Amino acid sequence: MKEYTIAAVAAALLVAFLDRKLRTRVLRQSAFWIFLAVMYAFKLLANGYLTWRPIVTYNSEFFLGVRVFTIPVEDFIYGFSLIALSVILWEYFKVQKPRARR
Amino acid sequence: MRIEYMLVLVCIVIGPLLLSRDKKLKLYAHPTALAKTIGIVCAPFWVWDVVATARQHWWFNESYVLGPRLLGMPIEEWLFFVVLSFVSIFTWESTKYFLRRQR
Repeated sequence: MKEYTIAAVAAALLVAFLDRKLRTRVLRQSAFWIFLAVMYAFKLLANGYLTWRPIVTYNSEFFLGVRVFTIPVEDFIYGFSLIALSVILWEYFKVQKPRARR
Repeated sequence: MRIEYMLVLVCIVIGPLLLSRDKKLKLYAHPTALAKTIGIVCAPFWVWDVVATARQHWWFNESYVLGPRLLGMPIEEWLFFVVLSFVSIFTWESTKYFLRRQR
């Protein structure tokens, strides 16, 4: 079964749900998608190196087998959930302490 | 080289780490938020990674990691999430800063 594919999509959906639940509305900002494009550009380098070398090898049983250069497409969905979760929680916790704001 | 994965992490984090002290970003104006975010991001991704590594979704080449492992994962892989959540926050604040300045 394509467990990695399923897990990556589920994680991305969970993160999108969390953004609604916490009312952080990060995914609705155009700034987020610009930021994601910047992250992906660097990701191509780092993730590309890790998978080209390969420092990390993926089991073909668990992912679709579609790759961008050497990077499995699932890594981009996985990356989205990791990156988006970081920003959503950061925005959430930052406003929890209004004292620290200017 | 066994240090390669660690070098990749250093390359990812070194720029953001050096530039993160820039006052305009106000990254360290919220130390608790920063620590909480990194901690809470790491927890589920560590669990996912430990399970996926155990189920052999992926494996790490012995030739490119330093050696020490915890729950089957190289220390580099544990650090990966600390690095990535920090770099994400830094890049997010930088993106917003540059977009604000453009207007």
